[in-house]
Amino acid sequence: MPPAATTRVPALETCGLEKRYGSVHALAGLDLRVSQGACYGLLGPNGAGKTTTVSILTSQTRPTAGGAHVLGRDVVAERGAVRGLVGIVFQEPTLDRELTGREQLDLHARLYHLPERRRRVAESLAWLGLERDADRPVRQLSGGLRRRLEIGRGLLHQPRVLFLDEPTVGLDVAARLAVWDHLRRVHAEGGTTLFLTTHSMQEADTLCGRIGILDRGRLVTEGEPEALKAALGGDRVALELERGEGVEAALGAVPGVIRVVPEPAPAGRGPVRVAIVTRDGPQRLPALLEAARPLGIRAVELRRPTLEHVFLHHTGHPFEPEQAP
Amino acid sequence: MTTLLTDAATIFRREMLRYRRDRAYWIGQLVFPLAVVLFLGLGLNDVVRLPTGADYLGHLASGVLALLVGSGAVGAGFSLIQDRDSGFLRALVVAPVSRTGLVLGKIAARGVASLGLVTVLLAIFAPFTSVGLAHPGAALLAILGVTACFVALGVALAARLRSLEAFRLLAALATVPLYLLSGIFYPVTTLPAASRALAHANPLTYGVDLLRYGLLGVHEIPPLRSALVLVGLAALSVGVAVAAFEREAGR
Repeated sequence: MPPAATTRVPALETCGLEKRYGSVHALAGLDLRVSQGACYGLLGPNGAGKTTTVSILTSQTRPTAGGAHVLGRDVVAERGAVRGLVGIVFQEPTLDRELTGREQLDLHARLYHLPERRRRVAESLAWLGLERDADRPVRQLSGGLRRRLEIGRGLLHQPRVLFLDEPTVGLDVAARLAVWDHLRRVHAEGGTTLFLTTHSMQEADTLCGRIGILDRGRLVTEGEPEALKAALGGDRVALELERGEGVEAALGAVPGVIRVVPEPAPAGRGPVRVAIVTRDGPQRLPALLEAARPLGIRAVELRRPTLEHVFLHHTGHPFEPEQAP
Repeated sequence: MTTLLTDAATIFRREMLRYRRDRAYWIGQLVFPLAVVLFLGLGLNDVVRLPTGADYLGHLASGVLALLVGSGAVGAGFSLIQDRDSGFLRALVVAPVSRTGLVLGKIAARGVASLGLVTVLLAIFAPFTSVGLAHPGAALLAILGVTACFVALGVALAARLRSLEAFRLLAALATVPLYLLSGIFYPVTTLPAASRALAHANPLTYGVDLLRYGLLGVHEIPPLRSALVLVGLAALSVGVAVAAFEREAGR
């Protein structure tokens, strides 16, 4: 167990972090604080500064201005110490394609001067579910298996903080789910602090307890995914009803409902559409349906704000899609 | 110091694993010298008389072995660019690894690979040429000295250059005159004065001459001078390589 004093030190902390490449401002004053044991997601479109942030926090790049600490260690002055504390899973492949998975992990164990190499490597391969493919050269492995191997390598020396730069980019759905599953286990079993960058809203939402949204080198908002979404003003329930008489009074009385907006009905009779803005949509839905039943329910839809809405709300521009498929 | 040696051993291991797997490369490394010695050497043997007194076949065979050691070393330095290209270098530089150990590991691996190659080719050449082991110590020093110089120069160059193409071009431009002006194919003493001066400025000349002294017993330059030049240059280039590599990592 680490002493109490060190558990209070944040896993990561940056202060006014800036990075300029020529005239390009990759980071324009980033203030971050990630507590130990957290799973933090840095979300942003391409070019937002995510990879630069990871590069600085892992002592690969020096900041132009500002400072950064990993578990209280300065990433510039105490580079050697920081390198031993962190593990990195890079965005692009960084495996030696000619070596086998087992050799790769063994090499890494040697580079980090780890004791009990053989046991560690065997355990890691088992944990990754790679035993069957352990002795095939990396170039013969599928993208998903390679990714898992990279994650296993990043974890082999039991880093206190694991950085993952776009861990599932380019993977198919099954491989992506497998990687997520592994990351959840890393977080649950080892208490390792995870810091991942992603441009996938879904990834940030499913994996991270806390999210920072990065846009053009600045942190525009930060918080728990649910809180960020809730801050946008609640969920939306869309109802299609047989009749619309007194709908505002009937549904507005349901606890939690913020407002009821009947959509202008087409002339004459026919179904009426109503949008209800409410807190805790899933919990309020039964009561809403109860209240609406006398009006004849034809269809129900519950819509929750996504991180996409959060991004749009805070940056004023939509989240650009990554690339054409 | 111990971490330096451990890290060098780790890198050595990795390079050896890669060498062992690359069969096509080794076939090429055996076929090329055989072709040169059999087709060029046997053809010219009765035509060329050398001032050193050695037969041309032996001269060429020992020179080609030196050429293999030199080009293999440049290639090993070049592998740093491939490591960058494959991304592996990134994983390497974020590990708490001694940069000096890294460079020494690459040199050691190439040194062992070249020693193995020279041994096999010596066994093939010995029955029909005059190459043998006149001074094994000098041969060993020549192989390791040339390897250290050229691996380190390759690493230093690779640390500066971003693209494979640029490195290939530069390596080709720099190495061809280096090889031709080093006494591999003919003694440097037969060259015109201007080229001879260039040959004496070429580090490979000393390696070629020392290896020839080790394998044939003949020399154009006093062996002790060749040995000192090689050791001095090796130390210098390793220093340059480590410094270039440190800068690369601390960008």
